[in-house]
Amino acid sequence: MSVDAAALQTARTGAGAAAPTAARRGRRSRLASVGLHAALVTASFVAVFPIFWVLVTSFKPDARAVSPTPRLVDESSVDNYVDVLSGARGDFLAWFGNSVTIAGLTTLLGVFVSSTTAYAVSRFRFPGRRGLMLTFLVMQMFPFAVLIVPLYNILLALGLQGRSLGLVLVYCTTAVPFCTYMLKGYFDTVPTDIDEAGRVDGLSPFGVFWRLVLPLARPGLAVTAFYSFITAWGEVAFASAFLSAADGSKTLSVGLQVFIQQNRTEWGHLAAASVLVALPAVAVFYLVQRFLVGGLADGAAKG
Amino acid sequence: MAEVAYVNASRVFPGTPPVRAVDNLELSVADGEFLVLVGPSGSGKSTALRMLAGLEDVDEGAITIGGKDVTNTPPKGRDIAMVFQSYALYPHMTVAENMGFALKLRGVPKAQIREKVAEAARMLDLTKYLDRKPKALSGGQRQRVAMGRAIVREPSVFLMDEPLSNLDAKLRVETRANIAALQQRLGTTTIYVTHDQVEAMTMGHRVAVLKDGVLQQCASPRELYDRPANAFVASFIGSPAMNLKTVPLTAEGARLDGLVVPLSRAALDGAAAEGLSEVTFGVRPESLRLASADEDGMEMTVELVEELGADAYVYGSVRIGEHPERFIVRVDGRTPPAFGQQVKVTLRDADEVHLFHPETGLRLSA
Amino acid sequence: MRAFLARHWYAYAMVLPVVVVVGALVLLPLAQGLYFTFTNINEATIANPVLDRPASYEFVGLDNYVNVLTGGESYGAFWSTLGRTLIWTFGCVLAHYAIGLGLALLLNRRMRFRGLYRVLLILPWAVPPFISVFAWRYLFNSQFGIINQALGALGLPTPVWLGQSDLALFSVMVINTWLGVPFMMVTLLGGLQSIPRELYEAAEMDGASAWQRFRDITLPGLRSVSSTVVLLGVIWTFNLFHVIFLSTGQNPHTRILVTYSFERFFSGASRDYAVASTYGVLILSLLLVFVTIYRRAMRRQGEVW
Ligand SMILES: Nc1ncnc2c1ncn2[C@@H]1O[C@H](COP(=O)(O)OP(=O)(O)OP(=O)(O)O)[C@@H](O)[C@H]1O
Ligand SMILES: [Mg+2]
Repeated sequence: MSVDAAALQTARTGAGAAAPTAARRGRRSRLASVGLHAALVTASFVAVFPIFWVLVTSFKPDARAVSPTPRLVDESSVDNYVDVLSGARGDFLAWFGNSVTIAGLTTLLGVFVSSTTAYAVSRFRFPGRRGLMLTFLVMQMFPFAVLIVPLYNILLALGLQGRSLGLVLVYCTTAVPFCTYMLKGYFDTVPTDIDEAGRVDGLSPFGVFWRLVLPLARPGLAVTAFYSFITAWGEVAFASAFLSAADGSKTLSVGLQVFIQQNRTEWGHLAAASVLVALPAVAVFYLVQRFLVGGLADGAAKG
Repeated sequence: MAEVAYVNASRVFPGTPPVRAVDNLELSVADGEFLVLVGPSGSGKSTALRMLAGLEDVDEGAITIGGKDVTNTPPKGRDIAMVFQSYALYPHMTVAENMGFALKLRGVPKAQIREKVAEAARMLDLTKYLDRKPKALSGGQRQRVAMGRAIVREPSVFLMDEPLSNLDAKLRVETRANIAALQQRLGTTTIYVTHDQVEAMTMGHRVAVLKDGVLQQCASPRELYDRPANAFVASFIGSPAMNLKTVPLTAEGARLDGLVVPLSRAALDGAAAEGLSEVTFGVRPESLRLASADEDGMEMTVELVEELGADAYVYGSVRIGEHPERFIVRVDGRTPPAFGQQVKVTLRDADEVHLFHPETGLRLSA
Repeated sequence: MRAFLARHWYAYAMVLPVVVVVGALVLLPLAQGLYFTFTNINEATIANPVLDRPASYEFVGLDNYVNVLTGGESYGAFWSTLGRTLIWTFGCVLAHYAIGLGLALLLNRRMRFRGLYRVLLILPWAVPPFISVFAWRYLFNSQFGIINQALGALGLPTPVWLGQSDLALFSVMVINTWLGVPFMMVTLLGGLQSIPRELYEAAEMDGASAWQRFRDITLPGLRSVSSTVVLLGVIWTFNLFHVIFLSTGQNPHTRILVTYSFERFFSGASRDYAVASTYGVLILSLLLVFVTIYRRAMRRQGEVW
């Protein structure tokens, strides 16, 4: 189903995934080909190496991790992982669960509210529409972590301080502007004829949104989901301010700070924990990566 | 089944200045009738149709379907089905799902939906494609799915907005006949928008001509062709277009170069009552013929000959007063004149002329 | 009024959740933050429910603004920090855009392993930034970092990358470039793919060279995508604090406006909320000015936001 949506997207943008310029008639010369691959291999190496090196380090004991002569394998074992997962240094699994809950809720809620907003902005000419979009733009200009004090007061007044839901709402406000903007661009590419056909077939405007436009915008939704998830998954400042200080209610990014002591960073343990944190994010990324290219540009171009 | 009426309905798009896309439309369509809305691009045909569908607001006036005022009813409450120019098939549903979607929304039992879809598919020769997605269909097949989606609903009114304009010429002629036959069989009131006057003439029981949002005339195709209500309709209906020229009036009739066309007493009196010294004179190409050397006729220089097989159309210029004017004459296809030749042109029958007011464009002759 | 609601209530119902949340969690705090900039609020004067101490901060007019704009090092050396912020912002966005466009052009060709390259190149985006920053700190470490190991093995100098020198600014810019390129690349790649192929074919028939095709078709075709991502890039980079904060902590050589705002907010016994908010408001004002000019400049090329 989703593959079909992607194919549809391709058909709609006209050019599709096929490379427009290169080598349709003549082959690229051998030299150009080598150059192309060399450039991409180099770039890929730069992109992957830091992450790879963390992976390598995660298997080394802390002392070996800071060895002045780094080697790929150096007394490597899975001890770090055992330490981290066993909860000897804090309840890693609880942190993990909290992060999953919070990032998951942020994704669900963020994608939902940004898609309804984006649909309204894309389809209806209502007074306040431009103002709303401008507000979203302005919202990204202020360093909101500076507003932790007022935010704290408001969450306290709402009874959300120290609760996951409060943090989820705060994350949503940071993710929603970009997501709305992306999805608006995406919805703009769905022809309005489809909406109208649905209306004539007996759907209400909400029905059109839910049963026609959302299924057609799946790639766009995947991209926004990825963005919301990443936003919430790795955030530190709000998480340390708005969650209660009890070890069991921390998120991963907050909890991991225990491995960074003032003078003594436990590089091996930190690396192992990092790998564990990065894995879910990479998994989500892998699920949506085939939608990323079409999806983002559709949002970014003025439809 | 239902009759449909526009009661002084208008749609005004906000803007500076506001666009009266449909202006004071007064039109009623009988139960079971096939009405074609035709007009040049931007004349408000689609807007009028969409007002009826509930996709466009009615700013003034009202719309009734089956005697019920539906002016403020949302589309789902109007019991209409629409075929879009782009077909607007749901890309994520199969052909069968597309066709059955409206029934599903109404809560019709699954088995019944399947039955109705199968029946419509048989009627439209789509049975083989029921499990495909729209993107795996050809243009003609998609068009049929769009039709099928409308038929399955058994609505009281069909609305079609240029449903054939994305098809190639041959398929278009074929589908045109199929749609007309289908409508005949189902007997459902149908409103069909097109800018193609051949479609309008061949399909409609009646044809309504729009221009700039204003209804010009609504009549049977024959009536429209034989007695256009004004110069616009006269020039819009018929291909090639009617020859329409403003010529001086004399006591005997209208004077063209070398030819005085006798006019009926009634027409002359009518013009005199208006105090006109000129009229807009219209004659269709097939009402003209080449004259023999000893007959009276207009001297015409042949500029272009369009051979269509059985017939040929001769385009040439005739002097009227100071200016050369273009005339089109239908001649026998086997013996057309040559380019550059001087020919004489005369009327086949003096009754086949149309006279219009030179300023208002309204028909003069009774 | 009833007609108005009848016509628009769907739209308002759909934007309502966002408006409520944004109103409560953005506009209200923003208004309160703006108010703070006219007071002397800090850890000592704020209401503290734990100690049962009422708020004792006072209205001080424009003092904070005057202090920040005319004050020296003790108020974050606003003007030189602004200069560094501009270097950081435009340096990073330029690098993001140039590298992102280059890679997008390479990836937009038919070749073997295209999908693999694409996944690998987007990967830095998928990793939570605090982990990426940790990875880079590890690589950049002056004693056991692999970069210096490699340089040392080649007999090159092995500097302190993230230390107390302007080299640290360069290093954090490298880190941020690494982090930000995937987003640009992906967006521009999508933009490239939406340029109709016919345009290239037509240009080829008109005899345009590869460079001319790039200049006259590719760049204009990317214009609307580019103008949007550059705008967002500038706003985001200008306000990006975690990369710098996590890599170098409080280092005057990598201080930009937003990190200083955080310094005032988070560190020291005083926790100077008033000055932190003042910086926030100044950042907002600067970006508003920038966006206004940018949008005006782009208006001829169509709406940006
Ligand atoms: N949403 C709109 N806002 C403003 N003006 C509009 C809108 N939709 C249509 N119009 C204007 O209303 C007029 C009629 O448009 P309409 O689409 O009904 O024409 P049409 O007869 O269907 O033409 P075509 O044969 O080209 O489809 C046009 O002048 C058009 O510019
Ligand atoms: Mg139309």
